[in-house]
Amino acid sequence: MQYIKNIKQSFKLKNNINYFVLIALLAVLIIADQFGLLGRSLTGLIIKMGYSAILAVSLNLVVGFLGELSLGHAGFMCAGAYIGCFFANYMYGVIDNKILVLVLAMIVGGLVATVLGFIVGLPALRLKGDYLAIVTLAFGEIIRNIFNNTSSETFGGAMGMSTKKFEGTTLFIITLITLTIVLFLCQSLIRSKHGRAITAIRDNEIAAKSMGINVTYYKLFVFALAACFAGVAGVLYGHSLSTVRQDAFTYNYSIEILVMVVLGGIGSMRGSIISASLIVYINALLQNNLSGDMAEIKQAVYAIILIIVVIFNNAPALKKVKDKLSVSNPAKKNKNPETIHDDEVDWRRVPTKIPMDEVLTANLPNNDEAESDTAEKGDK
Amino acid sequence: MSTIISVLINGLSLGAIYALIALGYTMVYGIAKMLNFAHGDIIMVGSYTIFITVMNLNIGGPVLTLVAAILFSVIVCTVFGVTIEKIAYKPLRGASPLAVLITAIGVSYFLQGSSQLLFGARALPITMPNLGNIDIGAAKVSVGTVVTLVVGIILMVALTVFIKNTRTGKAMVAVSEDKGAAQLMGINVNKIIMITFAIGSALAAFAALFYLFGIPAVNPTLGSMPGIKAFAAAVIGGIGSIPGAMLGGILMGLIESICKSIPALSSYTLAIEFGILILILLIRPIGLLGKKRRVKV
Amino acid sequence: MKKFMKVAALVLVATLVLGCFTACGTKADNDDGGNNANTDAKKEIFIGATGPLTGDASSYGISVKNGAEIAIAEINAAGGLNGITFKFEMKDDKAAAADAATAYDALMDEGMQVSLGSVTSGSCEAFAGAAQEDNLFFITPSASAAKVISYGSNSFRVCFGDPDQGTLAAQKLVAKYKNIGCIYDTSDPYSTGIYDAFKAEMDKSGTTFEVRTFDADNKKDFSAQVDALKDCDVIFLPIYYTEAGLIANACASKGVTAALFGCDGLDGVAEQIDKAVVTNDISYITPFDVNSTDAKVSAFVATYEEKYGEKPDQFAADGYDAVYAIFEGMKAAGIDDANISASDLSDALQVAITAEGFVLKGLTGEMTWDASGACTKVPVIVEL
Repeated sequence: MQYIKNIKQSFKLKNNINYFVLIALLAVLIIADQFGLLGRSLTGLIIKMGYSAILAVSLNLVVGFLGELSLGHAGFMCAGAYIGCFFANYMYGVIDNKILVLVLAMIVGGLVATVLGFIVGLPALRLKGDYLAIVTLAFGEIIRNIFNNTSSETFGGAMGMSTKKFEGTTLFIITLITLTIVLFLCQSLIRSKHGRAITAIRDNEIAAKSMGINVTYYKLFVFALAACFAGVAGVLYGHSLSTVRQDAFTYNYSIEILVMVVLGGIGSMRGSIISASLIVYINALLQNNLSGDMAEIKQAVYAIILIIVVIFNNAPALKKVKDKLSVSNPAKKNKNPETIHDDEVDWRRVPTKIPMDEVLTANLPNNDEAESDTAEKGDK
Repeated sequence: MSTIISVLINGLSLGAIYALIALGYTMVYGIAKMLNFAHGDIIMVGSYTIFITVMNLNIGGPVLTLVAAILFSVIVCTVFGVTIEKIAYKPLRGASPLAVLITAIGVSYFLQGSSQLLFGARALPITMPNLGNIDIGAAKVSVGTVVTLVVGIILMVALTVFIKNTRTGKAMVAVSEDKGAAQLMGINVNKIIMITFAIGSALAAFAALFYLFGIPAVNPTLGSMPGIKAFAAAVIGGIGSIPGAMLGGILMGLIESICKSIPALSSYTLAIEFGILILILLIRPIGLLGKKRRVKV
Repeated sequence: MKKFMKVAALVLVATLVLGCFTACGTKADNDDGGNNANTDAKKEIFIGATGPLTGDASSYGISVKNGAEIAIAEINAAGGLNGITFKFEMKDDKAAAADAATAYDALMDEGMQVSLGSVTSGSCEAFAGAAQEDNLFFITPSASAAKVISYGSNSFRVCFGDPDQGTLAAQKLVAKYKNIGCIYDTSDPYSTGIYDAFKAEMDKSGTTFEVRTFDADNKKDFSAQVDALKDCDVIFLPIYYTEAGLIANACASKGVTAALFGCDGLDGVAEQIDKAVVTNDISYITPFDVNSTDAKVSAFVATYEEKYGEKPDQFAADGYDAVYAIFEGMKAAGIDDANISASDLSDALQVAITAEGFVLKGLTGEMTWDASGACTKVPVIVEL
């Protein structure tokens, strides 16, 4: 109760702008759909953007806030999609209401993925950085491999499992509502004291532990929660098509979700949603416009866009250029640029600091005591 | 018996290939502290180079052709490795390693995309110069497999000697231990990183050749699965550790070969390989030969 | 900086979404406008398809596209049907279901009226699920999984079904060989589909056989599988030609002399191997023989080689036949209005193509269809 009260007290438009934008967007889209303004491809794209955004937001919990690199997100999605849709296929014979079945299926898919996320969270207690990355990747691939070897009566094996394709309008409304709920849950978590505990673990695990934060509990919790949302996204994915096949959930897909998170800004929920939508959109744009013989240049074009965006956003040498272009440059806002100079940069680095950040690179000048401490944490 | 021998030899030669790739991963990780996801695609570049050389070059005898092919492939791979480092990774030195990881993925997509553009996505068969077979015990083993094993071991020994005994090698160790200190001692860190990429890519070129001995076909995504498995091998051995990468690679190769030879397990090969990886890491979180470090608080 | 990114991203999103709306709008206008230039009524039927044009499976998609384009060019050059010409477009789906669904939606927005479905089974399932809702007639050249044509009465195919090939292969092999081995791809629907039927037939005849597998993540190194099957007289390969080529090479380097027998996926294996190195007998079931002396086939092969610089494979022939199936079906149904809706066209075509006496003499033999959507034609066994 206290928790809810806190939320009420701290209600500010600025903090809740994401929900309003999402709800307004949903309203606009529904109206547009009523007037037949949404084409089929746009409806399909919105659904794809919606579940991609759910995946990105949930992975951001792990990568951005807990500070662990996970490359197995598609594996949870895979389990959620298979089990949730299997359940739904069965329930369509029992319950008449399709939407209710879908909601139940999302819960079931989410729960199964939660269990798997919990299992993956266990090694996360002992492993760090790249070791954990390869373990999560391995888990994802194992899940996929197991579903591939199921019999044709259960999950269809290599043939894939048939699912019931949902009608576009209903599904995009459900997807956007789900995204709003997921976003609400994630943001409330991050803004609560639990969220602060999680970011404390990210910034310095040992310090957090010595402050009495239950590291085991929070790590498992975040992994399980993120997996749960991925499972829900999997069920939505399954219902946007008429088939679920394991080959859609390779580690390449996990990497694609990670790209969404990193491009959107690690630790930024809004950024994740925007970049997930953008990446889906760009891919669809390339797919539709480069048909036929032009299709082959698609991948190279996408790769070049990716490299340029990342280098532009992150290269230390380009910082000046970016500051010049930035509309909200702190130096511009503040009349006296000297006072915020170094501290400002350091402070701004904090939210993006994750264990892989500990890894220092050659030209980094401020190699102070605090940083070299964390540098060795990864190899504990 | 003959089956067991051939399974083991297949596994060892596959393992040698994984080990050569894993060495590239582990060295780059040790020194630049980044996961070079594009490393697998350097193998693909090497394979296409070998493909072009072998299919177009007609000089006396299979051995000479192979030597020419590996020469070209080493040169091309090294140039690629160094160029990629210059263009895509160097501007990001000092940035978040996650950003570097994403660029590496971008580079990997780019290499795959451009080779698809140049050669098409279809797998192109390549006729490798035939070196014949030899009998080991009751098993028939191709000379290519033996060459893979022998050359693989020679390269690994040479690399170890290089790192232990030369100035550059010692500088590499210093950079991987502490970049700041190494720089203060007058080591040109950028140059060392470049050399690391060059060596890693050259090893990948050898891996490409051996890979084509077993699997005579090239396609744009040829490098990605071996790349991931080699990454797993590097982690099993303890990422950053050179003997670890060799051990991990050999282990991966053996597991894969054994799993494939048992019908009931063969469709679970991937799950078993990765399952063993997880088990090893759960028991030894720093990998088999990884160095344990204390945490200062 | 982050703020800058966000604002920039927001602006970008806004423009893109707007762009999308306008693009959709203008595209539709263009379609009408462009064709209205000559006469008042639209004179073009839009045949859409999705297939892998990039990625590992792209050779199948490209072949089908090439074959279909040749057929379209032929038909249009001959004046089309009652003055109606045809337009064909294949969108890339990377052989993935989700991409096939996206491509399907885009094609529908662009006014697709009839379709060749998808090239590969996995994506064709997603395609079929969506097409059934719209009652869009499609006839897939090459998606052979049993499920593909099970979604509705609007789904047809040109190639053999997987189970039929498996059963046929089992009968042929049992009659001829004693020690039978098999290598198949557990992650591929085509391969498992054939294998399941093959195994069922083998069990029925009481024959035992050795089986080894591989999957999409381990489809490069076949030495272990070949070693295990070295005592077999014949190895059955219900897989695609790329892997079959690797297996043949592995046999050669291991000195395994077993004959290799496969299904239509093996078409194209000849280019994968060097006959001087691989001495094994290789044969496969296929509806299309590129070396056939049939006038139609040789004309097609000549055109194809001239246009694309290589010999066509079975996928190209299937693509060609699929277009002609639609064309002949429309002819039989007497369609003379290019503005016909997808659903009406589908109803007419379904009746026409399943009608008694509708026979298509194509590159892959004489074909008839029943209401299930499966195609009946005589298989040929080609020996290399």
